Formats: sequence, C-alpha cells, structure tokens
Amino acid sequence: MTDIGNPLGLNPGPDAKLSEIVRAATPWSSKLRLSGGSVSDTVAAIFLVLLILVALFVDFIPGLVSPRLPYGDFSQLPDWSLNGLLGTDDIGRSIFSRVLYGARTSMMIVAISTTIALVAGLLLGMLAGYYRGYFERAVDLFANALAAMPSTLVVLAFVAVTGPSVITIIVVLGIFDIGTYARVAKAGVISQSNRDYVLAARAMGATDGRILLQEILPNLIPALTAVMPTLMAGLIITEGSLSFLGYGIPAPAPSWGGMIASSTDLLSRFPLLILGPVLAIVFTVYAFNTIGDYLAQRLNNRERES
Amino acid sequence: MDASPTSRAILSCSNMTCELDSVTGPLKILQDINFSIDTRRALGIVGESGAGKSMLVKAIMGIAPRGLRIAGKIELDGQDLSKLKPKDRRKLIGRRVGIVFQNPMTSLNPFVQIGQQIEEGGRIHLGLSHNEARRRAIELLNLVGIPDAADCYDYYPHQFSGGMKQRIMIAAALICEPDLLIADEATTALDVTVQKEVLDLLQNIQAERQMSMILVSHNLGVVAGRTDEILVLYGGNVVEYGPTAEVFRNPRHRYTEALLSAMPQMDQPAHTRLRTIPGQPPNLASRPKGCPFAPRCPAAQAICHDVMPDVSTGIEASHRFACHFPLSEISRLTPVEAAHVQ
Amino acid sequence: MSSDVSNGDDIILEVRNLSVSFSRGGRQMKAVDDVSFTVAAGETLGLVGESGSGKTTIGRAILRLLPSANTISSGHVRYKQTYLDTLSSTDMRHMRSRLQMIFQDPLSSFNPRRNVEDIVAEGLVIQGKPAAERRERVKAALAAVSFDLEAVAGRRPHQFSGGQCQRIAIARSLAVEPELIVCDEPVASLDVSVQAQVINLLQDIRESRKLALIFISHDLAVVKNVSDRVAVLYMGRIVEIGTGEAIYERPAHPYTRTLLEAVPVVDASRKIVPDGKRTVMPSRNNVQSGCAFRGRCPRASAICETSVPQLSPMPRGQMVACHHPHDEPAPGLAVA
Repeated sequence: MTDIGNPLGLNPGPDAKLSEIVRAATPWSSKLRLSGGSVSDTVAAIFLVLLILVALFVDFIPGLVSPRLPYGDFSQLPDWSLNGLLGTDDIGRSIFSRVLYGARTSMMIVAISTTIALVAGLLLGMLAGYYRGYFERAVDLFANALAAMPSTLVVLAFVAVTGPSVITIIVVLGIFDIGTYARVAKAGVISQSNRDYVLAARAMGATDGRILLQEILPNLIPALTAVMPTLMAGLIITEGSLSFLGYGIPAPAPSWGGMIASSTDLLSRFPLLILGPVLAIVFTVYAFNTIGDYLAQRLNNRERES
Repeated sequence: MDASPTSRAILSCSNMTCELDSVTGPLKILQDINFSIDTRRALGIVGESGAGKSMLVKAIMGIAPRGLRIAGKIELDGQDLSKLKPKDRRKLIGRRVGIVFQNPMTSLNPFVQIGQQIEEGGRIHLGLSHNEARRRAIELLNLVGIPDAADCYDYYPHQFSGGMKQRIMIAAALICEPDLLIADEATTALDVTVQKEVLDLLQNIQAERQMSMILVSHNLGVVAGRTDEILVLYGGNVVEYGPTAEVFRNPRHRYTEALLSAMPQMDQPAHTRLRTIPGQPPNLASRPKGCPFAPRCPAAQAICHDVMPDVSTGIEASHRFACHFPLSEISRLTPVEAAHVQ
Repeated sequence: MSSDVSNGDDIILEVRNLSVSFSRGGRQMKAVDDVSFTVAAGETLGLVGESGSGKTTIGRAILRLLPSANTISSGHVRYKQTYLDTLSSTDMRHMRSRLQMIFQDPLSSFNPRRNVEDIVAEGLVIQGKPAAERRERVKAALAAVSFDLEAVAGRRPHQFSGGQCQRIAIARSLAVEPELIVCDEPVASLDVSVQAQVINLLQDIRESRKLALIFISHDLAVVKNVSDRVAVLYMGRIVEIGTGEAIYERPAHPYTRTLLEAVPVVDASRKIVPDGKRTVMPSRNNVQSGCAFRGRCPRASAICETSVPQLSPMPRGQMVACHHPHDEPAPGLAVA
C-alpha cells in the first residue's frame, strides 16, 4: 500500500507466482495513477496532503492576512488577489484566510479525536477479540450503545451543559468513534487469532502481549486505515454542524461551520459569503470518503489474494 | 482397449501454445501441446504445480485469463474453437463439455438452492422448460447418489458435505449430456475414502453414457487404472504421452520415472529413503531454452539445456515422449509385480 | 506384546484418556474421545485418519495450542516427568522449546512481514538469547535444512516455494532444539517431488538428533514410510495402533481395511473396477451408541450397536478396538 516506489504495482520479481504475473499482465493496469486506484483517488490524495500542509503551515503563507482582523470592505465579492479569492465577510475579514485557518481547526479536531478513539478502540477491541467471553460481550454492548445514539444530539447536550470548550468537543467526538474502531479491531483479532502464524508464535512460547502487539496488531492496520477516513469525514461534518448551531469551537476562532452560521442572516443579499466554507467542507469530506473507499477496496483485494 | 473404427476424436489440441505478457517479456505457460481424445476414452493429465494443467483446462474451456494468447488449434469434435466467435464458442462448449472443479466449497453458489444450480445449464444451453429441467436434475441427483433427491433439490450447498457437493457438481456438469467431462483435480480436496467413491462414480457414469473423460490430477494413483491414455506435463511441455499402462510400466522420460520413484509405496519398509528430484519445479518467469527438465535431470547433457527435444515414439507408436536421452526400453516392474517375482 | 506402548523405558510422551470437545451453537461436538498412546525418544508415531478423525486436534492438544474459548479438554499429557495439562501458562511457555510443531501450510505459519532470519530466530528471541548466540544457532538450523544463512537471511517467505518454506519452518523448530516435534500434515500441500525431499530431510534430522516425531497425515503411504508405529483414528478414537508392518500387512480393523483399499496406487497391471457403493457418513452431532463405524461396517452385528469396543491386543502385536477384527493378511499387499 505504501508502494510509492512502485506506483503501478508491476514488476513481480523472478520468483513471482503465476497469479502475480497474470495480474501484472492485464492491460488496464497501465492506465492507473495511484496503485490500483483511479484518477479521482489520486486527486483526493493530493487534496488531503495539501490540506494537512495548510493546517500545519498556514502561518507561513506569505501575504496572507490574519483571519481575525478586518482587512477590506464589507462583503466584497471575490477577486483575484490572494486574500480576496473568496471575498470578505460582513466584518471585512478575508474569507479565504478564514477558510485556511479553519482547516487547521478542523484537522486538529480530527487528529486528536481520532487518536483518542483509535487508542481506546484498539485496546478494547483487541482484548475483546483475543480473550472473548464476558469482556467481549461487554465491549459489543458498549459499541452497539454508542452506535445507537444520535451523536450530534448527544454532543450538543454535553456542550450545552458544560459550555462550549475545545476539550469537551474533542473528547466527546472521540468517544463516539471508539465503538467502530473497537469493532474493526475485534473482528480483525478474531480472524487472525486462528491463523497458523499466531499458533506458531504460541508454540514458540510468545506471551499474549507479544502476540497481540507484534503479530496481530500490524495485521490490523489495513482494516483500520480503510475505515478511518470515513470516520474522519464524519467528524468534520459533526464539527461543522456543531459550529453552525453555535455549540462548536467558540468564536472568534475560525471554523467552517461557524462561518456558515454567521452568514445566514445576509445570505439573501450576499449569497457568496458561504461559498468558501461550504466548498471547504464538501471537498474535504469528499476527499476523505474517496480515500476511504480506495483503501477499503485495496484491503479487499489483498484479503482475496491471501 | 482398442478404439473402434467408428470412434473419432472428440477433442484435439494441435501445437497449442499459451503465452502471457509480462514486464519481463512474453511467458510461455504452455508450449506445443499435442494430444487428442477419442469418444468413450479417458485421458489423464498429470503434472505438478506450475506444469500448466489448470491453464490447459482453462484454455480449452475458454475461461483463461484475459491477457492469454493462445496459438495453435483446439478442436472440439472437428470444430476449430479459435475460429468461432466467443458467444458461439461458449454455447458449443457449454453444451458439449462438462467440468467439475477442485473446490466444492467455492464452486457452488451458497445463496442458491442446489436444484436450481443443476438446472441452470440445461435451461440455458438446451432451452429446457422449468419442469423438464427439474425432472432431469432430480434424475441426475439420484444417479450421483444423493439420497432423497426430490427433497434435497431445495437444499442449500452448506447443508451437504464436501463429497456430496462434488457429486452435485457432477450432476450439474451432466445436465446437458455432454460428450466430454473434465474433472480438474475434482477429488483433491476430498478424504481418501470419499475420493474413491467419487472416482468410481465418474468411471461408472463414463461407461454408462459413453462419454469421454479427462482426469486432471497431480496424484498419479488417481489416473492409474482409470484412464486409457495419460499425458505428463512438465514446465508447460508434454514430456510423455501414451497408453496409461504402458507409460507406467515403461516410462521413457526421466521425469516420469523420477516421479514414480519419488512416491512412497505402501509395501516399502518404514524409513525407506525416497528418491528425490533435486531442485524444484521450473519458474515460468525464467524458463530455460531447451528441455524444461534439464536443470533437474541427472542425465542431462549440454544439448539438453540448449535444444528442445523432438518427440520420439516407443515400441507402441502411441507412446510418445520428448527426451534426448530417454530411458531404455526395459520394462519397469510395478511394485506389485516385483513383489511376486522375488 | 501390546503396542499402544512404545518399546523401552525412554518414553518421553504419554497421553492418557485425552478427550476434547468443542461447543458450537450451544451443542457439544466431541473431536477427540478417550485417546491414549505413548511416544519414545527417537520414535516416530504416525497418526492417520480422514477429516473429522481428530488427528489435528490431538496434535494441538498435546502442545496446548487449542483455542481457549469454547473448548473443553480432559485427560493427561505427560512429557517426561511433567504433566503438561496442569502447568500454568507461564510454566508451559518455558516448556515450549522442548515440544515444537510444523504446520501444513508453511507460508501461513509465517508472519508475512518478517524476513527469514527473524522467523527462524523467533523462538530464541523469546527466550532472550543474546544476538551472537542467536545468529549462530539460526545459521546452524538453516544449514541443517540445506540453506545458507547469508543467501536467505533478508528475504521474505513469499519469495520461496512451498517446499523451501517447509524447510524454513523445520529450521525454525530446530533452532530451539526440541526433543519432540508434532508434524501436522507437513507434506500435504507439496508436490510429489518436493514431498520426497522434505520427508528425507525429516528422516535425516530425526536420526541425527534422536528426535521423536508425531506425524499427522491422511496419506497412508507417507505415514507408512516415516513411522515406526501408526495409530489409525476414526471419529476421535484410536481404532487400531501398532507397528507399521502389522497394520499395513494385516490390518485388523475394518476401517483400516477400507482406508487401505481406497488409497490410489500406481499399479500398471490393474484396471480398477468401480463399485457403486455410497457410504453414509455418520453425523457428528448425533453421537450414536456403540461403535462409531458400525454404519459403514460390513461386519457389524448386534453387539456393535450396544457396546463401544475397547483396544485389545491382536496376535501380530497391534491393538485394535473392534468386536469383529480381521485376522487375515490384507489382499494384494502381503509380501510372500
């Protein structure tokens, strides 16, 4: 999967099996960009890379004005200057700058929430899958309960009680994804536990911990990476909805949802005010979902050949 | 078992070569395959992995991978298959050839009742009505030994064991009353007692319906005693081809002989050292010119590595082999015969 | 001379009344039913049977490699002076180096992300041996299977053929210097020509290291070749156990005869006459009374329905569990 040095996935070595040679020989593989993917997969991948770079280095973009201070007239139409690409909002701030800084906000939320969900989900899922029994049932119950809840409403309730703060939002959003990661990890562990190489490791005297960490965990990575982008896209949307409703990251921090919210009153007269944040959310979610599909498809192909 | 004057070749391959393109250049999966089967005869195709057995079967059936280039002639009852349009070819093969694959677990659609799966070929190729197809299918289920065929008709594959699934596959292969039945490693995944029953069944059906049969296997014992002719494949080439009894009694190609000697025999004492063939089956990507067996052959000379041997014939004209230095014509006693000779 | 017990007092493994049941969907399925046997140092015991015979389960039960969930096992497994079935998991881990296992599909028994050197060294890493010692032992183990460490060290398993992978698996087991190796269908997925290489290799290392082997296989010819003694399994029970000669020349149990007759033999003179028999496989969920084989047995009688036959000695030396055992030589196989 990280075959950057061999993007077409061709060139099976001299000991290649017949099936590998046959796959490499089929004609349509020559038209591909990303190994095994289509043009839109490549575009999505490039977009996400740019998004991450922006989130990290937006401060260093030369000529970009601050997202919090007004720099021009109110509600100007987009023009071809760097700061005016998407026009200005009702206070005169550069929408383009706010979108880029909003990317940082969104990426930060996605990164931290996903980390929380992944670590907790892996822990619960791997233990549930390896030891089964009552613990497995408890984890299943937990995951199903989380899945049954309307996450946006619950987060809303939380935030309404504790007040909007970055930490609350990130943690609660993270908790909601634990169930999915736990389920994927558990399924992976169950299917791997009966493979011969795990038995072989046990026959060598490996402890359970060693088996889980060194044998099984690396083989869970494909399944997890296939499911992560879709969950991340969901995080973006939920965060956007929260900010739109006013319960997200508190102003004046730039957030895409918040930008949409503050423009609602003026939409009838200045419809282009929401162009920036809407495009940002749409493209980001689309890119995450596309990559998620691509990885899931690659995972299926690998499973089939093993 | 002489072929009667009225028998004809139901399937024949002439100079068939199968090539696949790869980054390292064209790979010859099969080279210069020549054989034919007459009506009512059984042919065994044996070889180890990489010999090209499954590719040969797929090429005949028209289900080879898309990039495969097939040169030479494959004729079904006199008709050249390569001259037909794919649709016509499919119709012809579907109607006249039945095939049973290796893995009964994956050959049957787990979501469809078995009766329907048996019917399918009949409905498509013979245009049978639903009732007629059902009647025939139940008849076939009885023939292959499925108890309570009428009830089992509506069962799903997972309700049957491996051996019974293979019997169902055989029934499905027979619905169009084919002239040729191909069993591609059909018993490899089965227990040995079940294997015997399925092979017996195939043999009985072949005799009753006067069909031709091809038994493909890596297990020489499976084809011995059940086939009239045998074709030994190695590295994509035919190394020996002739009447089964004659080839086993009198193997002329050193690979055939080595293969026979490498098999442990039940009447040898324990811990008998087996005769091995050094090295391993050839790699398609790096095929040497010359005889494919040369790298592993104890009697190989320089010419063997450079020049592909021509086909020579043995005492019987029907016994053919491709070797520069074949084994001499001394009759090789089978272990059973050897035991009696003492 | 009863021969469910090995010769000599250097018995290193004793299995007594081993039973294993799996619970599936609320029902218990008995995979192994009251199995007992011994293995002496340097001896090879063949376990032969078809699917459902329990042979693989026995191999895993001895090494305590059965899944812990949904499994019930009872009986004793004694290795030298230690009862393996009562050891704590920590103590069991320390015993692991003495009893090793080789699997049917060698490629799947390797972690696909490791290279050959790491795979063969794994047991030594777990034991905490220093790097220099590991390297030496890995080198020696690979040499024992005719591999040069330098040539193969960094390569991955998928780059090797089936036979080569099996040799690497054997090297992995040898590196920890075991005294007994359970071989679970080690040559079943190999070509005939490669199978012979691996069988010869096993013979060589068995002789040079005085290794005991438990050789599990469905292939009767292979089992005859490698084993000193053979146990024939049917539906989780040993139906016949004795020396290879006794069992193959004078099979006493009707199932053993059925098995032997079914093996496809290359015999140029014989044209097989097919019979129309179709056996009814016994259902594993409804355990029937008496002998499990009686539904297929041509010699079954009333007593077979009511009483489960126990292993008892035959004149030729083997033990057989049958109410009506055969006592004549097997057709066509006896040597004058």
